[in-house]
Amino acid sequence: MLTISHLKKRFGQRTILEDIDLTVHQGDVITLIGPSGSGKTTFLRIITTLEQADGGHIQFAGIDKDFADLTKRDIQTIRRNVGFVFQNYNLFNNKTVLQNVTEGLIVAQKRSKAAAKAIAVSALAKVGLADFQDYYPSQLSGGQAQRVGIARAIALNPKVIFFDEPTSALDPELVTDVLQVMRQLAAEGMTMVVITHQMSFARDVSNQVIFMADGHVIEKGQPSQLFTTPKVSRTKQFLAEILATV
Amino acid sequence: MSLDTAFMGQVFKLTLQGVPVTLKIVLVALIISLPIGFLFALIRIYQVKVLSPLVRLYVSFVRGTPIIAQILIVYSAFPSFLAQFIGKTAFNIDPIIYAYIVFALNSVATLTEVFRSALQTVDKGQLEAGLLVGMTPAQTFLRVILPQALISALPNITNTTLYLIKNSSLAFIMSVKDITAVAKTQAAFSYNFLEAYLVVWVYYLVIAYVAEFLFSTLTHYFSRYLVAEPNKNWFQRLFSFRQPNTAVTNTQAKRAQFIAKEVNHVNN
Amino acid sequence: MKELSLILQFVQQILPAIWITLLISVISIGIGTIFGFLLAWGKMSRLKSVRWLTSIYVSVIRATPAIIMIFIVYYGLPFLFKGWFHLNIEGWQRMYFVIIALTLLFSAPVAEIMRSAYLAVPKGQQEAGLLVGMTKFQVFYRILLPQAFVIALPNFANSVINLLKEGALTFTIGVVDMVAKAQMIVSNNSGGFAFETYGALALIYWVISLAIDKFVSSAEKAYRRKRQTIDGSREAV
Repeated sequence: MLTISHLKKRFGQRTILEDIDLTVHQGDVITLIGPSGSGKTTFLRIITTLEQADGGHIQFAGIDKDFADLTKRDIQTIRRNVGFVFQNYNLFNNKTVLQNVTEGLIVAQKRSKAAAKAIAVSALAKVGLADFQDYYPSQLSGGQAQRVGIARAIALNPKVIFFDEPTSALDPELVTDVLQVMRQLAAEGMTMVVITHQMSFARDVSNQVIFMADGHVIEKGQPSQLFTTPKVSRTKQFLAEILATV
Repeated sequence: MSLDTAFMGQVFKLTLQGVPVTLKIVLVALIISLPIGFLFALIRIYQVKVLSPLVRLYVSFVRGTPIIAQILIVYSAFPSFLAQFIGKTAFNIDPIIYAYIVFALNSVATLTEVFRSALQTVDKGQLEAGLLVGMTPAQTFLRVILPQALISALPNITNTTLYLIKNSSLAFIMSVKDITAVAKTQAAFSYNFLEAYLVVWVYYLVIAYVAEFLFSTLTHYFSRYLVAEPNKNWFQRLFSFRQPNTAVTNTQAKRAQFIAKEVNHVNN
Repeated sequence: MKELSLILQFVQQILPAIWITLLISVISIGIGTIFGFLLAWGKMSRLKSVRWLTSIYVSVIRATPAIIMIFIVYYGLPFLFKGWFHLNIEGWQRMYFVIIALTLLFSAPVAEIMRSAYLAVPKGQQEAGLLVGMTKFQVFYRILLPQAFVIALPNFANSVINLLKEGALTFTIGVVDMVAKAQMIVSNNSGGFAFETYGALALIYWVISLAIDKFVSSAEKAYRRKRQTIDGSREAV
């Protein structure tokens, strides 16, 4: 459904991403793990057109092109077929919770206000925030804000949702609620690509784990394999470090 | 030795004629300069070729020179300009027109900086979120970024208005019959200068505080989505002093360039 | 080209009066800064009445046009001195009145700039200072003040430029400053070359403002660079 191949990104002299491939099938839950600065976030931002690639190919939503050849229309197509959950939520500050969810439905998908509201209400119910429709983002806790962020993404009914470290800006006690919502989404068959430091989530929920470091994919595999018998020493070291600190 | 209160009462009544003139100058200048200032801010942010450096030069000049110099320049230069281009003699022109021109030109410069910094304080993530719910950059700009920017500009627009009110007290130099001019004439008859200026002072304070209160109410109403802003009582609203904040940090400037690039990207 | 040489010629004629502008500005900035510091202190006082008084003062000054302030001081001060101390100060140099008016005008925004800069320094800085055993004054002087200073710098520069511009109203009470000089030149030319003369006047002010801006921003940059190297080395570890 989504295939990225030979993706490259440079920043000046520095290589941020080198020759990254990714294949996502319908219903996949893929987690990206790795130390900070490994290029995970940049990778997602390039796929979702927030940043430009310096090379590589994308196959998605009827597009089959090199990144360099993407037209304005292609970019718009990609943006309209993905959902994105930001690390720091990025809810529209000037809109209520309900408006945050309906905005894309009304403006981008041209749905009627009533239809948009119905979709939004059910999306908010799914993340457990049905009673918060008229709140403004500044009135929400981090965990609530992030769940609104997830509701905003799922309401658009995208082909795939990208999560950029959705719980790393949250206080520890708020992480569980958000992860719970994500587990539920995965169980319902939503296609998801998730950057996370929550190894338990990666292990329990995903069907593929990709370990990245220094702009390279070091190792990928099923969680049962990668977490128990990593093949590369770099992966072993990373897992040992991160599991020791938890 | 005491103040001539009878004279003050008389001046108080007479200067009332000047109030509408002062208000007219302030309002007209504001109405002209708000849209132009916004346009100039966009020119600066999107770094429009040729125009952007010109706007920058203009802002720097107005900011770096006293309003009195600007008044003298416009007042001395425009009559000959007009005579050249319209053929109309300068004497037929109501001096208040000059006041409109000077004060509007002056406010445009301030407002350019106000809008520029306001647009730049909106977080880049707001644009990204808009793009990734499928809105175009233009839609995101209009529906998400602009409303937030305008609201965050309100305190500085209040400041600009206060400056306008204060600067308008120099309109008498262009022989406009504003509050100061009327009081000055009265004082010159009787040599009761102190009394006359005390009255004028009260007028300006009243006008400034009313303007301040109106803007504060407006700001309060529109920024209801910002819970961080605590409710202020009337005393705090009137006597809290907001420092004009047009200094732009590096990250803000980068953010703005990102937004500019994105919008250009699609609008080209 | 002829325009330009004309303007330069007027600049030369106006320039001798610049010392009045500079003298007035420097003295007002000096006294106004001290006064503003005291006001900022008052605004953060534990006494409610002191806070109210300073807040009202700052706010009233903010709403007062510079020219009205100058007139009120010029005509009001002799009146007060006569009434209170039976002193006649009408013979004072007019420049003194301008300096007093500008000092009053300058102190209000400076008080607010100092206060907000002080409040902008994170509270943890003070706590950390106290907990390494410094006295309250040492913490203020060695830790808080230097940080508040950099925060305040850009807005302070702004206020200085404002003061410079407000000082251009000195001529209204008959001191022969640059504006008065320019007006004399124009009337000597029977109103001719007014645009060029006032253009020359504006040019001089513009250059001074730019110089202030430049000076402050390079001071700020130098200070920030010093701190950045510290941060940068920490990041590299």
